[in-house]
Amino acid sequence: MANGVNIKVENLSLSFGKNEVLQNINFEAKAGEIHCVIGPNGGGKTTFAKSLLGQTYHNGKITFEWIEKRGIVGYVPQIINIDKTLPVNVLDFIALCIQKRPAFLGVDKKFKKQVDETLDKLEMKNKSKYLFSELSGGERQRVLFAQALIPNPQLLILDEPMNSVDKSGAEVFSRIIDGLKQNGATVIWIHHDLEQVQKIADKVSCINKTVVFSGEPKSVMNEKNLLKIFSSRQGE
Amino acid sequence: MDFLYDIIRHSAQNLVQAGALPDSFKFAFVINSLLCALIIGPMLGAIGTAVVAKRMAFFSNAIGHSALTGIAIGIMLGEPVNSPYISLFSFAILFAIFLNFSKNKSGMSHDTLIGVFLSASLAIGAALMMFATKDINIHILDGYMFGSILTASNSDINLLLAVAILAIGAGIYGFNRTIMSGLNPALAQVRGVPVLIYDYIFVILIALITVASVKIVGSILVEALLIIPAAAARNITRSLKSFVILSVVFATISAVTGIVVPMEFKIPIPSGGAIIICATIIFILTLLVKIVRRN
Ligand SMILES: Nc1ncnc2c1ncn2[C@@H]1O[C@H](COP(=O)(O)OP(=O)(O)OP(=O)(O)O)[C@@H](O)[C@H]1O
Ligand SMILES: [Mg+2]
Repeated sequence: MANGVNIKVENLSLSFGKNEVLQNINFEAKAGEIHCVIGPNGGGKTTFAKSLLGQTYHNGKITFEWIEKRGIVGYVPQIINIDKTLPVNVLDFIALCIQKRPAFLGVDKKFKKQVDETLDKLEMKNKSKYLFSELSGGERQRVLFAQALIPNPQLLILDEPMNSVDKSGAEVFSRIIDGLKQNGATVIWIHHDLEQVQKIADKVSCINKTVVFSGEPKSVMNEKNLLKIFSSRQGE
Repeated sequence: MDFLYDIIRHSAQNLVQAGALPDSFKFAFVINSLLCALIIGPMLGAIGTAVVAKRMAFFSNAIGHSALTGIAIGIMLGEPVNSPYISLFSFAILFAIFLNFSKNKSGMSHDTLIGVFLSASLAIGAALMMFATKDINIHILDGYMFGSILTASNSDINLLLAVAILAIGAGIYGFNRTIMSGLNPALAQVRGVPVLIYDYIFVILIALITVASVKIVGSILVEALLIIPAAAARNITRSLKSFVILSVVFATISAVTGIVVPMEFKIPIPSGGAIIICATIIFILTLLVKIVRRN
């Protein structure tokens, strides 16, 4: 089995000023698993993902235990604002993300094949010369997803990557992510489509400030628990 | 380096005698100014793309104005009136760091904060300058506002060349990471980019470039040459590659034409101004192209 990482989060707490956003989060993700994170808007999912990426000031402990050596982390952010007037086309954007060689000199030879294949799989190859600002919402999400796949990640953190992706696109996404999982990668996937989560997740955690429930979808995604997600939002 | 400049000047003189170049090229100061133009054009054109991409045009403008204060301090501290480089560099770099620090820490909107700093640096600079130069020729002020490329000395060229090599080297090495830090800091960080450090390196680089170019094109005009060619290139390009190439080409053409045209046609305008006018003409042309394309 290829490289992956076991992640353990203990008593993670985080505040923005006086606003406590995460409180005593305990969480575990295993290599070779898709771990979905669900929860209401403002529940702290994006913040949690950023904590995992080491981009927040927080209390508590997050440990990464790589199966082999420290691997590559792919990240698909929830939103990306990019200056509409900037002449950055799809290939430029991917080059900016994945390589050190200046993007204006083109995609690095060693990634060229994978970039082509990935864009092809995501049905974006014919738009590779389009400006980022000329893409539709779903197309942008495809590109954001594409960059996270190059080079092959061993930990993939996805923040609602398919909100505006159509059905056939969603199937391609799922298939690719499943392939990474089969290779032993750890996948943390913030998702809001509960029906999909039930199909694809090995584990699911619901985060609303703290962990509301966590476990295998079959056993924790019952009516009583799901009701909790939304009633707790109202109670805030 | 002086040796190299001499060779260039001699070959130019030979070419003038052979009738391959216009008469004015036999003068050393003309060659010097052209050398400056050939360094400043590519440097400002290339780095300008990153400035525009990171939406830091206003920021670099503030740094440009801070040069005035730096010069005034230099004169008061007794540095040579024509090249108070130590004060100039130190002040501009400190100013850039302070500006970036305030921006990061206050979370204030950039344009508001920079607006304050920009006016303040200009006011303080002008006041100090009046104070410092009351018994020196006031034309120093004029020179630093609008530059005097025709009086560039060997050591000015050396300084410019050193900063240009540094800037272009750093620009090539850090291009992706600098742009990514601006586009999406979270995504950049995942890729191992120390976003904060790159942020500071970039503003320091802008300060260095600005200061090294101040004497040549002036503290106000250096910013224009940093922004206008990149903005013009942005109007008509659809990839980063053509964006960078065209920006460099536009800046270089502007710098060279701005020197040669007034001289050849005996138009009595300062070279700094002429350079920016050329850049602006190019900008307007690209704007027209853009408008035509859109309809
Ligand atoms: N940079 C910030 N400064 C202050 N507060 C923030 C910041 N980022 C997030 N918050 C607050 O933290 C809370 C959680 O935000 P977060 O983006 O993590 O929620 P989320 O679960 O991802 O929501 P959504 O489903 O809408 O994506 C929100 O109440 C938000 O107001
Ligand atoms: Mg979110």
